[in-house]
Amino acid sequence: MKKTQQISLVLITAALASCHKPASPDWVNANGEHRRAYIRSDSTAPYAPMTHPLGIALWYYAFRPYGSYSYLSGYRRVGYYSSAISERSNIGLSGEKGGIIRGGFGGGYSVSS
Amino acid sequence: MQRHTLTPRNNWQKEVEKLGFGFHTTNVPYWDESACYEFSMDEILLIERASAELWDCCLGAVQYVMDNNLYYRFAIPDPFIPYIERTWQEDHPAVYGRYDFCYKDGVPKLLEFNADTPTSLYEAGIVQWFWLQDYDKTKDQFNSIHEKLIDYWKFLKSYLYPGPLHFSCVKASLEDLTNTEYLRDCAIQAGLSTKLVFIDDIGWDTNDQVFVDLQDLPIKNIFKLYPWEWMVTEEFGANILADRNKSFWIEPAWKMILSNKAILPILWQLYPDCPWLLPAYFEPGHLTDYVKKPILSREGANIELIRGTSTLQTTPGAYGAEGYIYQQLATLPDFSGNHPVLGSWIIGQEPAGLGIRESSTLVTDNLSRFVPHYIS
Repeated sequence: MKKTQQISLVLITAALASCHKPASPDWVNANGEHRRAYIRSDSTAPYAPMTHPLGIALWYYAFRPYGSYSYLSGYRRVGYYSSAISERSNIGLSGEKGGIIRGGFGGGYSVSS
Repeated sequence: MQRHTLTPRNNWQKEVEKLGFGFHTTNVPYWDESACYEFSMDEILLIERASAELWDCCLGAVQYVMDNNLYYRFAIPDPFIPYIERTWQEDHPAVYGRYDFCYKDGVPKLLEFNADTPTSLYEAGIVQWFWLQDYDKTKDQFNSIHEKLIDYWKFLKSYLYPGPLHFSCVKASLEDLTNTEYLRDCAIQAGLSTKLVFIDDIGWDTNDQVFVDLQDLPIKNIFKLYPWEWMVTEEFGANILADRNKSFWIEPAWKMILSNKAILPILWQLYPDCPWLLPAYFEPGHLTDYVKKPILSREGANIELIRGTSTLQTTPGAYGAEGYIYQQLATLPDFSGNHPVLGSWIIGQEPAGLGIRESSTLVTDNLSRFVPHYIS
């Protein structure tokens, strides 16, 4: 007997089935354009210099809620700490964050062979 | 081996899509159940034996290339040679590969070995298995791909670095993603912690000198469906040598030797009595009927089939700059204009199953069709 007796899949059918679904209307604006949220914890996301709540200069928070209004400068976004992503992605030195580069692999299209 | 014409299942597209198989049809059909192949058990046992023996031969050929410093035959950049040898000596994890056989007169002959980035794994392991459940579940099939993948990931678990096993491929190809996610599915079932990161999202931390994923977490173990010959020439290629984590890349770099068609003349030189090999040479002039193949090419590109003074077929493409090899012509069998090539899978060092692709010409290209099989 050469054949596998029983096959179960835990990941692939759900993951790949979603590739065929049309975009939800909720994600298309009035002009028919797809709206996208870019939330990337890498060097492609902007990280404005911020003051760490503990007073450490030049640290960033990846996501910043709790904005505040200032009489002089108006509203200022602050960001928040997300426990859903790694600490390394949430906080760190801005210079260090800028030390990660991407896109150095992936020049090819498909490996089909 | 016999070819049978069949009536496809009603709504077969829905049946295969339920499995997550989304690339069954492009501009031409790829999954084709209007036909199937029937093998006797003796035929399958021979294909299995040939695959197992060739695996031993291939490992011997890798060692020979290293011992005799034949890298120049493979167009492998010099800086990567020590790294390739380290991955070999340290036995970095290697999971799978696929031989392409010409099967005629009851004898499989090796056309090439897709040892680095073979695809059609999902079709062979899953889609044709479920097809057989519908077609005739009492029939057997050369297919233990799924259980061998799970078993081998379990085996490798203790050899990997602590932390997740990343899986990577290009973003733009559903076929590549399907193959990659299938391998990840099996790894999950083996109890491994996994993450998907597309190859162009991989980051390089210039401060720590390590590769990182999209959460900036270090990558220490990574399966990549992306060929080594591309990686070594891309911007991040040199970073592999500088990587402080000395990450495991699966398949390992020594597979660069086996996936290169320059291995074919080396195999023939080492094992001229092997019944599964075709004569092959680096130089023209040894053969009257031959196939001229670039040492690095994909999907049947830049192939020339020569019989005597006649050119049977040529294929276009952008390969060939690295050189060619010349292999004795073995024309694929002809079933009313359908030419099958047998893909025999090696998983965890063992023969694991069979997938058949048919073409309308003698060269199996990117218009080939996957056709299921069973054992009578």
